[in-house]
Amino acid sequence: MDFDWTEDDIAYRAALRRFLRDALGADWQGYKGLNPAAYKAAAGEFCRKMAEHGYLTQSWPKEYGGGDAPPWRAAILSEEIGSPHGEPRGSQYMNVNWIGPAIMQFGSPDQKAFFLPRISAGDITFSQGFSEPDAGSDLASLRTRAVRDGNDYVVNGEKIWTSHTAIAEWLFLLVRTDPDEKRSKGITVLLVPMDTPGLKVNQVLGFVGESAFSNPVFTDMRVPVANRLGPENGGWAVVRYALAFERIGVAHYRHAENQLNGLAREANARGLTDDPAVLAKLGEAWEAVEAARLLYFRVVDLRAQGSPPTADSNIARVAGTRAYQVVAEAADLILGEYSLGGSGRSRFNLTAGITSGATEIQLDQIATRHLNLPRPAVGARD
Amino acid sequence: MNLTLSTEQQQIVDAVRTLLTRHDAPGRSKALLATGGYDHELDASLTEGGFTGVIGGDGTGPLEAALITLELARSAATSAYAAGEIVAGKLLGANPGIPVALTRKPADFPFRFGRHARLMLIDAGEEAQVLDLTEADIQPVDTDQVGWPMGVLKTGVAARARGLGAGTGETLRRWWRLALALETIGAMQGALELTIRYVKDRVQFGRPIGEFQTLQHRLSELTVIVEGARWIALETAFRDATPLHAATAAGRAAGAAGLVARECHQMHGAIGLTREYPLHLWSTRLGPLGVEMGGPAAHRRDAAQIRFSSQEIAAREAHWR
Repeated sequence: MDFDWTEDDIAYRAALRRFLRDALGADWQGYKGLNPAAYKAAAGEFCRKMAEHGYLTQSWPKEYGGGDAPPWRAAILSEEIGSPHGEPRGSQYMNVNWIGPAIMQFGSPDQKAFFLPRISAGDITFSQGFSEPDAGSDLASLRTRAVRDGNDYVVNGEKIWTSHTAIAEWLFLLVRTDPDEKRSKGITVLLVPMDTPGLKVNQVLGFVGESAFSNPVFTDMRVPVANRLGPENGGWAVVRYALAFERIGVAHYRHAENQLNGLAREANARGLTDDPAVLAKLGEAWEAVEAARLLYFRVVDLRAQGSPPTADSNIARVAGTRAYQVVAEAADLILGEYSLGGSGRSRFNLTAGITSGATEIQLDQIATRHLNLPRPAVGARD
Repeated sequence: MNLTLSTEQQQIVDAVRTLLTRHDAPGRSKALLATGGYDHELDASLTEGGFTGVIGGDGTGPLEAALITLELARSAATSAYAAGEIVAGKLLGANPGIPVALTRKPADFPFRFGRHARLMLIDAGEEAQVLDLTEADIQPVDTDQVGWPMGVLKTGVAARARGLGAGTGETLRRWWRLALALETIGAMQGALELTIRYVKDRVQFGRPIGEFQTLQHRLSELTVIVEGARWIALETAFRDATPLHAATAAGRAAGAAGLVARECHQMHGAIGLTREYPLHLWSTRLGPLGVEMGGPAAHRRDAAQIRFSSQEIAAREAHWR
């Protein structure tokens, strides 16, 4: 057991910091205020720079143009790239973290030849079409219907909470291809160009941050069978594979730590650290961040040893969510009424337990897969 | 970075587990509790088995001592191993091989191991003090709420303590915090493992109660907390118990101790409140561990003062931004 970074890892981190400083500037303030086209251009330019320096797909296998970097390198990259001002890759982090790997695992030769070089070059943006109005945590009950008609699927239905639709060229879409098969067995993945006729995107305004959610609606949308990823009715395996990568794809503990540093700076500046309650809450939040970091590291360690995905990733995810929540408590204590202006107040406090799998689903997974408790008669079944 | 136990570390864990199983540590602790006794036999077995002197050993150190301490606490052993091996081992340079008690000024409240303690280490602020004890120095404290024999110093005894010099107080506190975190985490693991077994076996409403989501989610949350605390404590051992790591580990563990004890009891119902059922072996230790050294708020204030000093924030934010 060794909690120190290797010399090589330390050098890698230093070089990565230099790259980030050069590519973004030391005073990078994020992409706030840019319209979708400008945001896409800026994130795309940054991803192309990452690609030039070998960072973008560093974790991919060499045969797909990657760097075969060990999982600890991906963890360092996640730590360093997480900024209080946002994700400089924009939505492209999804491409490299799980869409690309899913295409490598399940894609046809043509799909690999088309998508992987574009992802590697930072030239493509996806949005993720999973949730539906009646299928959120219970994703396997999704109803968007795809019916085979010659060499096409004809798709009818709708998705919701779909991210990045304003900038994406492609949609990673889950559809039901077998209405008689219950739940996860009749699901298929389609890769759909966003300009496909029959696809209309409605916007749902959110109050957290500046984002809007999207509600893509499909009316007799025709998608070539060649755009199917993996076998017909075999989409659930693709999703499970993809989500195993997604869960620790973001270094949430580092975001929480960044917030906490800012709060502590504020507390010091205003002399609040004379208050024992403020100090104790800062210490408690720090503990929660450290716990999340080490539980996340445990998942990286298992992956580095070639272990298949385990519920350790769910444990890490819950710890990350809890860390945000204690940081939010510290924010209330330290900022008090000063927090009442501006935007993004306690943003992660509300979203952390919802995005990429509700906390309750993570807890189900820990109970049944880690503690080996019996599966409940009601609840998650897939 | 490698978070997997080495072969040697795994062998140590396996060996101490075998010893504790053979010794029936929880069963002996239950019997000893009735008489206010101390498990001298276990201490002798630990010495014989080579589990003492590990912290300054050849090829072993705080991490190995930490792994042993976790297993002892997980088995509800009635032993002052953590104080002797980790705290005295680091403060005095060697495990003295006799039961060691830990307290802090004014040293007038009950301490663990009571009349069995033969050496006491006292946090006197700037310096640590050491005090040799005989049974005549200690007034036993009769309590059914605490899972160890407890005692207080008789009047005038504390005045015999010898100072160890400026700066030794800090050394005592950081290793004590590591030992405290490990003992607390081991006890939480023991209570939680017992509870998880119980909810799988206990049938109500025609099904094991562990099938109910309301219990599953709570057990999952406790698992997240205990596992996180365990990793912090292991890194603290690896880092030679820096003041920040030690305070973080102790705060995390102590802050969870009461919750884990309460939840494990709640899920057991009335059976958990009996003397026959072993849950009390762990639960009556978690409360006292949770308040030792001033409790979670004291650990957390110390951690925050180190981690969030202006200099430390600036150093940690040194970054591309």
